Amino acid sequence: MFTLLVKPNTSITFTFNDLEVSAIPGQSVGAALLEAGDRVLRVTRFENKPRAMFCGIGVCFDCLVVIDGAPNQRACITEAKAKMVVRTQVGGA
Amino acid sequence: MKPEQVGVVVVGGGPAGLSAALNAALAGASVLLIDSNSKLGGQYWRHLPETWLEQSELHLDLDTGLLLISAVANNPKIEIWSGAEIWSATHENGATTLRLITKGVEKIITTNALVLATGAYDRTLPFPGWDIPGVMTPGGAQSLIKGHGVAAGKRVVVAGTGPFLLPVAAGLAQIGCEVVELLEANSPLRWLKSFPTLIQNLSKIGEAAHYIAIFNKFGVRPKFKRAVVAAHANKDGELESVSIAKIDSNFNIKKIDRVKCDLAAIGWGFTADTSLAGALLLKQFVTKDDGVAVSVDENQQSSIAGIFAAGEITGIGGSELSIAEGVIAGLAAAIYLGCKAEISDDHRKTKVKKHKFADALINSYPVKSGWQGWLTDETIICRCEEVKYSKLKFSVIELGATDSRTAKLLSRCGMGMCQGRICGRFLVDLVANESGISPSDISEKERISVGNRPIITPISIELLANGE
Repeated sequence: MFTLLVKPNTSITFTFNDLEVSAIPGQSVGAALLEAGDRVLRVTRFENKPRAMFCGIGVCFDCLVVIDGAPNQRACITEAKAKMVVRTQVGGA
Repeated sequence: MKPEQVGVVVVGGGPAGLSAALNAALAGASVLLIDSNSKLGGQYWRHLPETWLEQSELHLDLDTGLLLISAVANNPKIEIWSGAEIWSATHENGATTLRLITKGVEKIITTNALVLATGAYDRTLPFPGWDIPGVMTPGGAQSLIKGHGVAAGKRVVVAGTGPFLLPVAAGLAQIGCEVVELLEANSPLRWLKSFPTLIQNLSKIGEAAHYIAIFNKFGVRPKFKRAVVAAHANKDGELESVSIAKIDSNFNIKKIDRVKCDLAAIGWGFTADTSLAGALLLKQFVTKDDGVAVSVDENQQSSIAGIFAAGEITGIGGSELSIAEGVIAGLAAAIYLGCKAEISDDHRKTKVKKHKFADALINSYPVKSGWQGWLTDETIICRCEEVKYSKLKFSVIELGATDSRTAKLLSRCGMGMCQGRICGRFLVDLVANESGISPSDISEKERISVGNRPIITPISIELLANGE
Protein backbone atom coordinates (compact mmCIF):
# COMPACT_ATOMS: atom_id res chain seq x y z
CA MET A 1 0.00 0.00 0.00
CA PHE A 2 2.69 2.50 0.95
CA THR A 3 5.51 3.45 -1.34
CA LEU A 4 7.65 5.06 1.31
CA LEU A 5 9.76 1.97 1.71
CA VAL A 6 10.74 -0.44 -1.01
CA LYS A 7 12.00 -3.67 0.46
CA PRO A 8 15.04 -5.30 -1.06
CA ASN A 9 14.13 -8.56 -2.77
CA THR A 10 16.78 -10.59 -0.98
CA SER A 11 15.85 -12.60 2.06
CA ILE A 12 17.16 -15.26 4.37
CA THR A 13 15.24 -17.83 6.41
CA PHE A 14 15.46 -19.06 9.96
CA THR A 15 13.06 -21.03 12.14
CA PHE A 16 10.93 -19.94 15.09
CA ASN A 17 9.53 -22.83 17.10
CA ASP A 18 10.28 -25.08 14.10
CA LEU A 19 8.35 -22.95 11.58
CA GLU A 20 10.19 -21.15 8.79
CA VAL A 21 10.39 -17.33 8.98
CA SER A 22 11.94 -15.07 6.37
CA ALA A 23 13.97 -11.95 7.14
CA ILE A 24 15.58 -9.24 5.09
CA PRO A 25 19.35 -9.20 5.65
CA GLY A 26 20.11 -6.72 8.44
CA GLN A 27 16.77 -7.13 10.21
CA SER A 28 16.71 -8.20 13.83
CA VAL A 29 15.17 -11.50 14.89
CA GLY A 30 12.46 -9.56 16.72
CA ALA A 31 11.62 -7.37 13.72
CA ALA A 32 11.42 -10.35 11.34
CA LEU A 33 9.17 -12.23 13.78
CA LEU A 34 6.91 -9.21 14.24
CA GLU A 35 6.58 -8.89 10.46
CA ALA A 36 5.67 -12.59 10.34
CA GLY A 37 2.94 -12.03 12.93
CA ASP A 38 4.81 -13.51 15.90
CA ARG A 39 4.76 -10.82 18.52
CA VAL A 40 5.05 -12.95 21.67
CA LEU A 41 8.67 -13.93 22.24
CA ARG A 42 8.78 -15.31 25.75
CA VAL A 43 6.65 -16.45 28.67
CA THR A 44 7.49 -15.10 32.14
CA ARG A 45 8.78 -17.46 34.79
CA PHE A 46 6.43 -16.63 37.66
CA GLU A 47 3.06 -15.87 36.08
CA ASN A 48 3.39 -17.46 32.62
CA LYS A 49 2.55 -14.14 30.99
CA PRO A 50 3.39 -13.48 27.34
CA ARG A 51 5.98 -10.78 26.64
CA ALA A 52 7.12 -9.04 23.49
CA MET A 53 9.59 -6.35 22.48
CA PHE A 54 9.13 -3.30 24.70
CA CYS A 55 12.08 -0.90 24.47
CA GLY A 56 13.23 -2.23 21.09
CA ILE A 57 16.82 -1.10 21.64
CA GLY A 58 18.36 -3.67 23.97
CA VAL A 59 17.68 -1.93 27.29
CA CYS A 60 14.73 -3.77 28.87
CA PHE A 61 15.55 -7.46 28.29
CA ASP A 62 11.87 -8.25 27.74
CA CYS A 63 12.28 -9.80 24.26
CA LEU A 64 14.43 -12.73 25.38
CA VAL A 65 14.46 -15.79 23.11
CA VAL A 66 16.53 -18.95 22.82
CA ILE A 67 18.81 -18.80 19.77
CA ASP A 68 20.69 -21.92 18.66
CA GLY A 69 20.26 -23.30 22.16
CA ALA A 70 21.52 -20.20 23.99
CA PRO A 71 18.86 -18.59 26.23
CA ASN A 72 18.48 -14.89 27.17
CA GLN A 73 19.23 -13.52 23.70
CA ARG A 74 17.65 -10.13 23.00
CA ALA A 75 15.55 -10.53 19.84
CA CYS A 76 15.48 -6.76 19.28
CA ILE A 77 19.24 -6.36 18.80
CA THR A 78 20.23 -9.77 17.46
CA GLU A 79 20.54 -9.76 13.68
CA ALA A 80 18.66 -12.57 11.97
CA LYS A 81 20.99 -15.01 10.23
CA ALA A 82 20.19 -17.82 7.83
CA LYS A 83 19.44 -21.17 9.50
CA MET A 84 19.21 -19.73 13.00
CA VAL A 85 17.06 -21.85 15.28
CA VAL A 86 14.97 -19.51 17.42
CA ARG A 87 12.59 -20.60 20.17
CA THR A 88 10.20 -18.94 22.58
CA GLN A 89 11.88 -18.58 25.96
CA VAL A 90 9.74 -20.14 28.68
CA GLY A 91 10.72 -19.04 32.19
CA GLY A 92 14.47 -18.55 32.59
CA ALA A 93 16.21 -15.18 32.86
CA MET B 1 45.00 -10.86 29.63
CA LYS B 2 47.22 -7.85 28.95
CA PRO B 3 45.28 -4.60 28.44
CA GLU B 4 45.68 -2.91 25.09
CA GLN B 5 46.79 0.75 25.41
CA VAL B 6 44.98 3.09 23.03
CA GLY B 7 44.65 6.84 22.32
CA VAL B 8 41.25 8.50 22.68
CA VAL B 9 38.47 6.02 23.39
CA VAL B 10 34.94 7.14 22.53
CA VAL B 11 31.99 5.12 23.82
CA GLY B 12 28.80 5.50 21.79
CA GLY B 13 28.17 5.83 18.05
CA GLY B 14 25.34 8.38 18.04
CA PRO B 15 25.52 12.12 17.24
CA ALA B 16 27.79 12.96 20.21
CA GLY B 17 30.08 9.95 19.89
CA LEU B 18 30.53 10.27 16.13
CA SER B 19 31.30 13.99 16.45
CA ALA B 20 33.77 13.32 19.26
CA ALA B 21 35.55 10.51 17.39
CA LEU B 22 35.87 12.52 14.19
CA ASN B 23 37.12 15.68 15.87
CA ALA B 24 39.62 13.85 18.07
CA ALA B 25 40.99 12.17 14.93
CA LEU B 26 41.09 15.47 13.00
CA ALA B 27 43.07 16.95 15.89
CA GLY B 28 45.63 14.19 15.39
CA ALA B 29 44.72 11.59 17.98
CA SER B 30 44.31 7.91 17.22
CA VAL B 31 40.78 6.94 18.19
CA LEU B 32 38.94 3.79 19.17
CA LEU B 33 35.15 4.11 18.82
CA ILE B 34 33.22 1.52 20.80
CA ASP B 35 29.50 1.14 20.03
CA SER B 36 27.02 -1.40 21.36
CA ASN B 37 24.93 -1.17 18.19
CA SER B 38 25.75 -3.27 15.17
CA LYS B 39 25.63 -0.14 13.00
CA LEU B 40 26.85 3.40 13.68
CA GLY B 41 24.33 6.25 14.04
CA GLY B 42 22.92 5.68 17.52
CA GLN B 43 19.18 5.79 18.08
CA TYR B 44 18.76 9.14 16.33
CA TRP B 45 20.42 8.16 13.06
CA ARG B 46 19.30 4.54 13.08
CA HIS B 47 18.87 3.62 9.43
CA LEU B 48 18.09 0.78 7.06
CA PRO B 49 20.73 -1.03 5.01
CA GLU B 50 21.46 0.56 1.62
CA THR B 51 19.50 -2.21 -0.09
CA TRP B 52 16.25 -0.46 0.94
CA LEU B 53 14.92 2.40 -1.18
CA GLU B 54 13.24 5.74 -0.34
CA GLN B 55 14.09 5.72 3.31
CA SER B 56 15.22 9.30 3.71
CA GLU B 57 11.67 10.65 4.13
CA LEU B 58 11.48 8.81 7.44
CA HIS B 59 14.23 11.00 8.87
CA LEU B 60 14.32 14.73 9.21
CA ASP B 61 18.08 14.82 9.29
CA LEU B 62 19.58 11.55 8.09
CA ASP B 63 21.88 13.28 5.58
CA THR B 64 24.00 14.83 8.36
CA GLY B 65 24.17 11.44 10.04
CA LEU B 66 25.23 9.55 6.94
CA LEU B 67 27.90 12.15 6.20
CA LEU B 68 29.27 11.90 9.72
CA ILE B 69 29.15 8.09 9.72
CA SER B 70 31.00 7.97 6.41
CA ALA B 71 33.61 10.48 7.58
CA VAL B 72 34.22 8.43 10.73
CA ALA B 73 34.27 5.09 8.91
CA ASN B 74 36.75 6.37 6.31
CA ASN B 75 39.12 8.10 8.70
CA PRO B 76 42.30 6.01 8.97
CA LYS B 77 42.94 7.25 12.52
CA ILE B 78 39.64 5.81 13.79
CA GLU B 79 39.18 2.15 14.63
CA ILE B 80 35.55 1.07 15.13
CA TRP B 81 34.30 -1.75 17.32
CA SER B 82 30.59 -2.18 16.67
CA GLY B 83 28.35 -4.55 18.62
CA ALA B 84 30.70 -4.26 21.60
CA GLU B 85 29.34 -4.27 25.13
CA ILE B 86 31.35 -2.82 27.98
CA TRP B 87 30.62 -4.65 31.21
CA SER B 88 33.22 -3.15 33.53
CA ALA B 89 34.95 0.22 33.84
CA THR B 90 37.51 1.29 36.44
CA HIS B 91 39.80 4.29 36.82
CA GLU B 92 43.19 4.18 38.53
CA ASN B 93 46.34 6.35 38.37
CA GLY B 94 44.98 8.51 35.55
CA ALA B 95 44.02 5.60 33.32
CA THR B 96 40.65 4.06 32.63
CA THR B 97 40.36 0.33 32.05
CA LEU B 98 37.38 -0.98 30.10
CA ARG B 99 36.41 -4.63 29.88
CA LEU B 100 34.17 -5.50 27.00
CA ILE B 101 32.76 -8.29 24.92
CA THR B 102 33.00 -7.90 21.17
CA LYS B 103 32.12 -10.62 18.67
CA GLY B 104 31.88 -13.13 21.50
CA VAL B 105 35.40 -12.40 22.76
CA GLU B 106 36.40 -10.53 25.92
CA LYS B 107 38.83 -7.61 25.48
CA ILE B 108 40.50 -5.28 27.96
CA ILE B 109 41.71 -1.82 26.99
CA THR B 110 43.16 1.11 28.90
CA THR B 111 43.16 4.76 27.93
CA ASN B 112 44.16 8.13 29.36
CA ALA B 113 41.48 10.00 27.42
CA LEU B 114 37.94 8.66 27.44
CA VAL B 115 34.81 10.26 25.95
CA LEU B 116 31.49 8.89 27.18
CA ALA B 117 28.58 9.42 24.80
CA THR B 118 26.29 6.64 25.92
CA GLY B 119 23.04 8.39 25.07
CA ALA B 120 19.59 7.84 26.47
CA TYR B 121 16.54 5.62 26.23
CA ASP B 122 12.80 6.19 26.65
CA ARG B 123 11.62 7.18 30.11
CA THR B 124 8.73 4.93 31.08
CA LEU B 125 6.02 5.02 33.73
CA PRO B 126 4.16 1.91 34.90
CA PHE B 127 0.39 1.58 34.49
CA PRO B 128 -2.03 -1.36 34.59
CA GLY B 129 -1.33 -3.58 31.58
CA TRP B 130 1.95 -2.00 30.45
CA ASP B 131 3.48 -5.48 30.30
CA ILE B 132 0.97 -6.65 27.67
CA PRO B 133 2.52 -7.47 24.25
CA GLY B 134 1.62 -4.51 22.06
CA VAL B 135 2.58 -1.86 24.58
CA MET B 136 5.97 -0.44 23.61
CA THR B 137 8.08 2.61 24.07
CA PRO B 138 7.91 5.20 21.25
CA GLY B 139 11.64 4.69 20.71
CA GLY B 140 11.06 0.97 20.30
CA ALA B 141 8.30 1.46 17.75
CA GLN B 142 10.47 3.97 15.90
CA SER B 143 13.58 1.77 15.90
CA LEU B 144 11.56 -0.98 14.19
CA ILE B 145 10.63 1.46 11.43
CA LYS B 146 13.97 3.25 11.04
CA GLY B 147 16.19 0.22 11.48
CA HIS B 148 14.11 -2.68 10.20
CA GLY B 149 11.29 -1.32 8.02
CA VAL B 150 8.65 -2.94 10.21
CA ALA B 151 5.42 -1.46 11.60
CA ALA B 152 4.82 -2.80 15.12
CA GLY B 153 1.01 -2.65 14.73
CA LYS B 154 -1.93 -1.63 12.55
CA ARG B 155 -4.16 0.50 14.81
CA VAL B 156 -1.88 2.63 16.91
CA VAL B 157 -2.15 4.92 19.92
CA VAL B 158 0.87 7.17 20.59
CA ALA B 159 0.90 8.80 24.02
CA GLY B 160 2.97 10.26 26.84
CA THR B 161 4.71 13.59 26.75
CA GLY B 162 7.38 15.42 24.78
CA PRO B 163 8.20 16.44 21.22
CA PHE B 164 9.57 12.96 20.42
CA LEU B 165 5.97 11.70 20.14
CA LEU B 166 5.62 13.74 16.92
CA PRO B 167 8.23 11.96 14.75
CA VAL B 168 7.13 8.61 16.16
CA ALA B 169 3.46 9.19 15.27
CA ALA B 170 4.47 10.61 11.88
CA GLY B 171 6.70 7.62 11.11
CA LEU B 172 3.99 5.15 12.07
CA ALA B 173 1.47 6.96 9.84
CA GLN B 174 3.96 7.09 6.95
CA ILE B 175 4.73 3.38 7.12
CA GLY B 176 1.03 2.57 6.85
CA CYS B 177 -0.34 2.37 10.40
CA GLU B 178 -3.65 3.95 11.33
CA VAL B 179 -2.70 6.36 14.11
CA VAL B 180 -6.04 6.46 15.95
CA GLU B 181 -4.83 8.70 18.77
CA LEU B 182 -1.85 10.97 19.40
CA LEU B 183 -2.06 12.09 23.01
CA GLU B 184 0.11 14.68 24.75
CA ALA B 185 -0.33 14.70 28.52
CA ASN B 186 0.62 18.35 28.92
CA SER B 187 -1.03 21.50 27.66
CA PRO B 188 0.64 23.32 24.74
CA LEU B 189 0.06 26.54 26.69
CA ARG B 190 3.02 25.61 28.86
CA TRP B 191 5.20 26.80 25.96
CA LEU B 192 4.07 30.39 26.63
CA LYS B 193 6.43 30.45 29.61
CA SER B 194 9.34 29.79 27.25
CA PHE B 195 8.21 31.96 24.37
CA PRO B 196 11.51 33.90 23.94
CA THR B 197 13.47 30.62 23.76
CA LEU B 198 11.05 29.30 21.17
CA ILE B 199 11.53 32.40 19.02
CA GLN B 200 15.31 31.89 19.19
CA ASN B 201 14.86 28.36 17.89
CA LEU B 202 12.67 28.89 14.85
CA SER B 203 14.03 25.73 13.23
CA LYS B 204 12.23 23.77 15.95
CA ILE B 205 8.93 25.40 14.99
CA GLY B 206 9.72 24.37 11.42
CA GLU B 207 10.19 20.78 12.55
CA ALA B 208 6.84 20.81 14.35
CA ALA B 209 5.20 22.22 11.19
CA HIS B 210 6.74 19.40 9.16
CA TYR B 211 5.11 16.80 11.42
CA ILE B 212 1.79 18.65 11.53
CA ALA B 213 1.72 18.56 7.71
CA ILE B 214 2.18 14.78 7.87
CA PHE B 215 -0.61 14.52 10.47
CA ASN B 216 -2.94 16.53 8.22
CA LYS B 217 -2.15 14.27 5.29
CA PHE B 218 -2.94 11.11 7.26
CA GLY B 219 -5.82 12.51 9.33
CA VAL B 220 -4.05 12.35 12.68
CA ARG B 221 -5.51 14.77 15.24
CA PRO B 222 -3.26 15.38 18.24
CA LYS B 223 -5.08 15.81 21.55
CA PHE B 224 -3.72 17.37 24.70
CA LYS B 225 -4.11 16.73 28.45
CA ARG B 226 -4.84 13.07 27.81
CA ALA B 227 -2.97 9.90 28.73
CA VAL B 228 -3.16 6.13 28.38
CA VAL B 229 -3.81 5.00 31.95
CA ALA B 230 -4.47 1.28 31.37
CA ALA B 231 -4.01 -1.37 28.67
CA HIS B 232 -6.24 -4.39 28.16
CA ALA B 233 -5.46 -7.79 26.62
CA ASN B 234 -7.48 -10.08 24.36
CA LYS B 235 -7.89 -13.81 25.04
CA ASP B 236 -4.39 -14.49 23.67
CA GLY B 237 -2.93 -12.05 26.14
CA GLU B 238 -2.06 -9.42 23.50
CA LEU B 239 -3.12 -5.79 23.36
CA GLU B 240 -6.78 -5.21 22.43
CA SER B 241 -7.56 -1.76 23.79
CA VAL B 242 -6.37 1.05 26.05
CA SER B 243 -8.10 3.28 28.57
CA ILE B 244 -7.58 6.91 27.65
CA ALA B 245 -8.12 9.48 30.37
CA LYS B 246 -8.62 13.19 30.30
CA ILE B 247 -6.20 14.37 32.97
CA ASP B 248 -5.71 17.56 34.94
CA SER B 249 -2.44 19.49 35.09
CA ASN B 250 -1.17 17.19 37.84
CA PHE B 251 -2.04 14.07 35.76
CA ASN B 252 -5.02 13.09 37.92
CA ILE B 253 -7.72 11.20 36.00
CA LYS B 254 -10.92 13.09 35.18
CA LYS B 255 -12.76 10.89 32.67
CA ILE B 256 -11.93 7.59 30.92
CA ASP B 257 -12.73 6.22 27.43
CA ARG B 258 -11.77 2.89 25.85
CA VAL B 259 -10.09 2.84 22.44
CA LYS B 260 -9.28 -0.28 20.42
CA CYS B 261 -5.70 -0.64 19.20
CA ASP B 262 -3.04 -3.30 18.69
CA LEU B 263 -0.06 -1.04 19.42
CA ALA B 264 0.33 1.58 22.14
CA ALA B 265 3.62 3.50 21.98
CA ILE B 266 3.97 5.35 25.27
CA GLY B 267 6.89 7.37 26.57
CA TRP B 268 7.68 10.23 28.93
CA GLY B 269 10.84 11.77 27.58
CA PHE B 270 14.22 10.17 28.08
CA THR B 271 16.48 8.69 30.73
CA ALA B 272 20.23 9.11 30.27
CA ASP B 273 22.28 5.92 30.28
CA THR B 274 24.69 6.81 33.08
CA SER B 275 25.75 3.23 33.88
CA LEU B 276 29.35 3.73 32.73
CA ALA B 277 29.61 7.14 34.37
CA GLY B 278 28.32 5.62 37.61
CA ALA B 279 30.79 2.73 37.48
CA LEU B 280 33.62 5.27 37.04
CA LEU B 281 32.29 7.27 40.02
CA LEU B 282 31.97 10.46 37.94
CA LYS B 283 30.18 13.32 39.67
CA GLN B 284 26.53 13.39 38.63
CA PHE B 285 23.61 15.67 39.35
CA VAL B 286 19.82 15.54 39.35
CA THR B 287 18.22 17.40 36.46
CA LYS B 288 15.08 19.55 36.70
CA ASP B 289 12.98 16.61 35.49
CA ASP B 290 14.39 14.36 38.26
CA GLY B 291 16.65 12.57 35.80
CA VAL B 292 20.36 12.09 36.35
CA ALA B 293 23.18 13.58 34.26
CA VAL B 294 26.98 13.70 34.34
CA SER B 295 28.55 16.96 35.58
CA VAL B 296 30.97 18.48 33.06
CA ASP B 297 32.99 21.70 32.69
CA GLU B 298 33.11 24.00 29.64
CA ASN B 299 35.36 21.45 27.87
CA GLN B 300 32.98 18.54 28.61
CA GLN B 301 35.49 17.21 31.15
CA SER B 302 33.91 15.26 34.00
CA SER B 303 34.96 15.32 37.67
CA ILE B 304 37.86 13.02 36.70
CA ALA B 305 40.62 14.55 34.54
CA GLY B 306 40.87 12.80 31.18
CA ILE B 307 37.29 11.53 31.23
CA PHE B 308 34.89 13.57 29.11
CA ALA B 309 31.13 13.24 28.60
CA ALA B 310 28.95 14.48 25.74
CA GLY B 311 25.40 14.29 24.48
CA GLU B 312 22.32 13.10 26.33
CA ILE B 313 24.25 11.84 29.39
CA THR B 314 25.11 15.43 30.32
CA GLY B 315 21.40 16.38 30.19
CA ILE B 316 18.75 15.50 27.61
CA GLY B 317 18.92 18.07 24.82
CA GLY B 318 18.64 16.51 21.37
CA SER B 319 20.98 15.90 18.45
CA GLU B 320 22.22 19.44 17.76
CA LEU B 321 23.33 19.89 21.36
CA SER B 322 24.86 16.41 21.28
CA ILE B 323 26.88 17.24 18.16
CA ALA B 324 28.19 20.51 19.66
CA GLU B 325 29.15 18.73 22.88
CA GLY B 326 30.69 15.84 20.96
CA VAL B 327 32.89 18.18 18.93
CA ILE B 328 34.09 19.95 22.08
CA ALA B 329 34.67 16.68 23.96
CA GLY B 330 36.58 15.09 21.05
CA LEU B 331 38.86 18.08 20.66
CA ALA B 332 39.36 18.42 24.42
CA ALA B 333 40.26 14.72 24.72
CA ALA B 334 42.83 15.06 21.90
CA ILE B 335 44.27 18.21 23.49
CA TYR B 336 44.46 16.31 26.80
CA LEU B 337 46.71 13.76 25.09
CA GLY B 338 48.97 16.53 23.78
CA CYS B 339 47.50 17.17 20.32
CA LYS B 340 47.38 20.75 19.06
CA ALA B 341 43.80 21.92 18.44
CA GLU B 342 41.50 24.77 19.26
CA ILE B 343 37.87 24.63 20.34
CA SER B 344 35.97 27.31 18.44
CA ASP B 345 33.53 29.69 20.08
CA ASP B 346 30.82 28.64 17.62
CA HIS B 347 30.48 25.22 19.23
CA ARG B 348 30.34 26.78 22.68
CA LYS B 349 27.66 29.24 21.52
CA THR B 350 25.58 26.44 20.00
CA LYS B 351 25.91 24.55 23.25
CA VAL B 352 24.63 27.46 25.35
CA LYS B 353 21.72 28.14 22.99
CA LYS B 354 20.63 24.49 22.80
CA HIS B 355 20.92 24.09 26.57
CA LYS B 356 18.39 26.90 26.94
CA PHE B 357 16.07 25.08 24.58
CA ALA B 358 16.54 21.85 26.53
CA ASP B 359 15.48 23.70 29.70
CA ALA B 360 12.39 24.97 27.91
CA LEU B 361 11.54 21.38 26.92
CA ILE B 362 11.71 20.27 30.55
CA ASN B 363 9.41 23.13 31.57
CA SER B 364 6.96 22.39 28.76
CA TYR B 365 6.74 18.61 29.16
CA PRO B 366 6.85 17.77 32.87
CA VAL B 367 5.85 14.41 34.34
CA LYS B 368 3.48 15.15 37.21
CA SER B 369 3.00 12.93 40.25
CA GLY B 370 -0.68 12.21 39.53
CA TRP B 371 0.46 9.19 37.46
CA GLN B 372 0.92 7.27 40.69
CA GLY B 373 -2.87 7.30 41.04
CA TRP B 374 -3.20 5.23 37.84
CA LEU B 375 -1.68 2.17 39.54
CA THR B 376 -3.63 -0.65 41.16
CA ASP B 377 -2.31 -3.24 43.62
CA GLU B 378 -2.02 -5.69 40.72
CA THR B 379 0.04 -3.38 38.48
CA ILE B 380 3.47 -4.75 37.60
CA ILE B 381 6.16 -2.31 38.79
CA CYS B 382 9.28 -4.31 37.90
CA ARG B 383 8.76 -6.04 34.56
CA CYS B 384 11.79 -8.35 34.90
CA GLU B 385 10.96 -9.73 38.33
CA GLU B 386 7.16 -9.37 37.93
CA VAL B 387 6.88 -7.40 41.17
CA LYS B 388 3.41 -6.01 41.78
CA TYR B 389 2.64 -2.64 43.33
CA SER B 390 1.13 -4.39 46.39
CA LYS B 391 4.45 -6.12 47.08
CA LEU B 392 6.40 -2.89 46.76
CA LYS B 393 3.98 -1.18 49.16
CA PHE B 394 4.33 -4.13 51.57
CA SER B 395 8.11 -3.66 51.61
CA VAL B 396 7.67 -0.03 52.58
CA ILE B 397 4.60 -0.05 54.82
CA GLU B 398 4.99 -3.42 56.57
CA LEU B 399 8.73 -4.09 56.33
CA GLY B 400 9.82 -0.49 56.88
CA ALA B 401 11.88 0.36 53.81
CA THR B 402 12.33 4.13 53.52
CA ASP B 403 14.68 4.30 50.55
CA SER B 404 14.57 2.67 47.13
CA ARG B 405 17.63 0.50 47.73
CA THR B 406 16.07 -1.21 50.74
CA ALA B 407 12.72 -1.49 48.97
CA LYS B 408 14.55 -3.07 46.05
CA LEU B 409 16.22 -5.67 48.25
CA LEU B 410 12.96 -6.49 50.01
CA SER B 411 10.69 -6.57 46.96
CA ARG B 412 13.15 -7.51 44.16
CA CYS B 413 12.04 -4.42 42.21
CA GLY B 414 14.93 -3.56 39.89
CA MET B 415 16.84 -6.79 40.55
CA GLY B 416 16.25 -8.39 37.14
CA MET B 417 18.07 -8.55 33.83
CA CYS B 418 17.57 -4.87 32.95
CA GLN B 419 19.26 -3.92 36.25
CA GLY B 420 16.62 -1.31 37.05
CA ARG B 421 17.04 0.59 33.79
CA ILE B 422 13.27 0.57 33.27
CA CYS B 423 11.82 0.78 36.81
CA GLY B 424 14.67 2.37 38.78
CA ARG B 425 13.81 5.98 38.07
CA PHE B 426 10.12 5.81 39.03
CA LEU B 427 10.78 3.37 41.87
CA VAL B 428 12.43 6.22 43.77
CA ASP B 429 9.25 8.29 43.51
CA LEU B 430 6.94 5.41 44.46
CA VAL B 431 8.97 4.51 47.55
CA ALA B 432 9.17 8.16 48.63
CA ASN B 433 5.43 8.57 48.21
CA GLU B 434 4.67 5.45 50.27
CA SER B 435 7.12 6.63 52.94
CA GLY B 436 5.48 10.06 53.09
CA ILE B 437 8.55 11.83 51.70
CA SER B 438 7.75 14.71 49.35
CA PRO B 439 9.37 14.52 45.89
CA SER B 440 11.39 17.67 46.59
CA ASP B 441 12.89 16.02 49.69
CA ILE B 442 14.26 13.01 47.81
CA SER B 443 18.06 13.23 48.08
CA GLU B 444 20.35 13.61 45.07
CA LYS B 445 22.21 10.52 46.22
CA GLU B 446 19.02 8.47 46.18
CA ARG B 447 18.23 9.39 42.57
CA ILE B 448 21.84 9.06 41.36
CA SER B 449 22.46 5.68 43.00
CA VAL B 450 19.65 4.10 40.94
CA GLY B 451 21.88 4.16 37.86
CA ASN B 452 24.93 2.71 39.58
CA ARG B 453 25.67 -0.82 38.41
CA PRO B 454 29.04 -2.36 39.35
CA ILE B 455 28.58 -4.79 36.46
CA ILE B 456 27.41 -2.59 33.63
CA THR B 457 25.61 -5.14 31.49
CA PRO B 458 24.60 -8.76 32.14
CA ILE B 459 27.27 -11.17 30.88
CA SER B 460 27.59 -14.91 30.97
CA ILE B 461 30.10 -16.47 33.35
CA GLU B 462 31.10 -18.81 30.54
CA LEU B 463 32.17 -15.92 28.30
CA LEU B 464 34.35 -14.54 31.11
CA ALA B 465 35.92 -17.91 31.80
CA ASN B 466 36.83 -18.17 28.11
CA GLY B 467 38.53 -14.75 28.08
CA GLU B 468 41.79 -14.38 26.14
